[in-house]
Amino acid sequence: MNSLLPLIRNECMKIIKKKRFYVILLILVVLVPMFTYAQMRSAERNRAKFSSDWRLELQQQITDNENSLSSSRIPEEWKTYRRVFIQQMQYYLDHDVNPNEPSGVTFTREFLDNSISLFIPLMIMAVASDIVSGERTTGTIKMLLTRPVKRWKVLMSKMIALLMFVSLIIVSAFLVSYLISGLAFGYSGFNAPVFTGFQLSGDSVDMSAVHSVPQWEYMLMQTGLIWFVSVVVALLAFMVSVLFRSTAASIVVMMAALIAGTILTNMASAWTSAKYLFMVNLGLTNYLSGSPAPIEGMSLPFSIAVLSIWGIVSVIISFAVFTKRDILN
Amino acid sequence: MFKYKTSYRTDGGIGLNDFKWTWRGLSLVSIAATLLLVIGFIYAARDIMSPRGTSYSVEAPQNTAAPAEESGILKVAAVGDSLAKGTGDNTGEGFVRRAVAGLSADGTKTELIGNLGINGLTTAGLRDKLKEEGVQYVLRQANIILVSIGGNDLFQGAQRMLNETEGGTDASRKAASGSAEVQAGSGGSEGAAVGRAAVPGGGSSENAGLKDLNPEQLLTSLPSASKRLEEILSSISDINPQARIYYIGLYNPFGDLREMLIPGNQAVTSWNNAAMDIINRNTGMTLVPTLDLFNGHLGKYLSSDHFHPNGDGYQRMADRIVQAIR
Repeated sequence: MNSLLPLIRNECMKIIKKKRFYVILLILVVLVPMFTYAQMRSAERNRAKFSSDWRLELQQQITDNENSLSSSRIPEEWKTYRRVFIQQMQYYLDHDVNPNEPSGVTFTREFLDNSISLFIPLMIMAVASDIVSGERTTGTIKMLLTRPVKRWKVLMSKMIALLMFVSLIIVSAFLVSYLISGLAFGYSGFNAPVFTGFQLSGDSVDMSAVHSVPQWEYMLMQTGLIWFVSVVVALLAFMVSVLFRSTAASIVVMMAALIAGTILTNMASAWTSAKYLFMVNLGLTNYLSGSPAPIEGMSLPFSIAVLSIWGIVSVIISFAVFTKRDILN
Repeated sequence: MFKYKTSYRTDGGIGLNDFKWTWRGLSLVSIAATLLLVIGFIYAARDIMSPRGTSYSVEAPQNTAAPAEESGILKVAAVGDSLAKGTGDNTGEGFVRRAVAGLSADGTKTELIGNLGINGLTTAGLRDKLKEEGVQYVLRQANIILVSIGGNDLFQGAQRMLNETEGGTDASRKAASGSAEVQAGSGGSEGAAVGRAAVPGGGSSENAGLKDLNPEQLLTSLPSASKRLEEILSSISDINPQARIYYIGLYNPFGDLREMLIPGNQAVTSWNNAAMDIINRNTGMTLVPTLDLFNGHLGKYLSSDHFHPNGDGYQRMADRIVQAIR
């Protein structure tokens, strides 16, 4: 164990030296203002239309969704989504709680909700994809392995460093989003109530378990779920990085998998065995907000189990391959 | 790049002293962050898998206060069926937006508070809608409430009896699923609205369906539906006693079919009479007749679904409403 700590430190320094983490921060600092501005514009437009009364706006939204339910052009699973949405919004209206109270905190919550299945995994890949393959590309792997340290320790140190950065990435995504959007929407809103515990059975929503939590508590749970998803994505990217010689190849493989996931979640409801794929299970925060899962039969324990299995298997493969393989190139 | 490479090789060598503090900060922050996130994850998993189930204790505050203050601003809200929504109007405006535009044409400040028209809504459906807090809220903010309802009750006739148990939405979904017979037979605004693209070829089946629609059948639902209309109008005026309510009378969309002209007119007239009767017994309500606007001009003022008005038809209705409000 004593020899592991310096190795981890070494790996962390490499990640920092390669400026991957700064690139991630830069992406956030560039993109978040764009989202903030877009959000601000749409809020402005709604304010003009609904004389700044969120109840009128929400009721109109409910009515519009009810109208679209009767259109035969809309696929059945979208209708389910809308029926659930209508019932939840009705619940918010009945309890006189604004689900979209404009604030930097609400913006951050929405931003994180939307970025769990693609945006945050992409940022994690930026660090994870070249963590092993990068050493092979540059040839530095030989230097690393000629030292009197066991191979599994080298790999372990890389994995721990990666997981440390996973946490840092999530926290900085939260901070950047909060700090920047707060400029536009204000920094308060941590105590605004949010409803959670909507239990879905088909089209109808069981409200018996619904309870309100302050927004900070909701976000604690939300970022916790994002962390779990990110760890699994990081471990998978780690395995791919071990398996592939070139960083470019490992990035492409992971990107393809993630993008396939977003496409599948939009259209795979007929192919039910797709629910065993990791990329379909990335939207864990949907269980918190009560949005319907993309495929019937998915639940939080199910998704956690699927993701855990994928994560554990990829760790096993990474270590098995890395400790056995000849490094000659 | 090359400079960096030399520094990776050794863990105690050059450069690392500069990073001593970076490393300390980094490791502490990341350990703290990880702990926090793990706690959040466990908390979330527990909360989702076994929700605490304590319902939101704060009672729904009834925002009965703040009905639109009388400041000369007209605040218009609309409830009802596809006519209120504006189905058939290519511009999507319907009589609601057109009336708002007409009212503000002379400089009167007019706001549209909300248009809650839903395709295929029947009197039973609207009665239930009015119990919703959000709908009541919208109505409380208005001082002019436009109501359009009843067409689906009247023209669904026999079809509605069959679907009684399934409820309005099921009936409309059925109509939407593309059965021309249901669309024409029920005359449900829903079927007509959705099937607009499909229906034009189905003229013959429309006639066949309409033969079953004799006036007796049209009128079977009248007593119960007009009773619901009364409940609707009185509950609207309970929700917002200050507002003026304008009920939009029905017209006969089937007047261009010879066998439906007279029975249709009779049915629509008895419906309108029933509505007039209710409205006369209440203050603050007005009936806006539309039967005469369309009779004899159906080709000109109905949209291609042969049921809903087109833009010009809605404009005529809106002009009437503006006249009634002024």
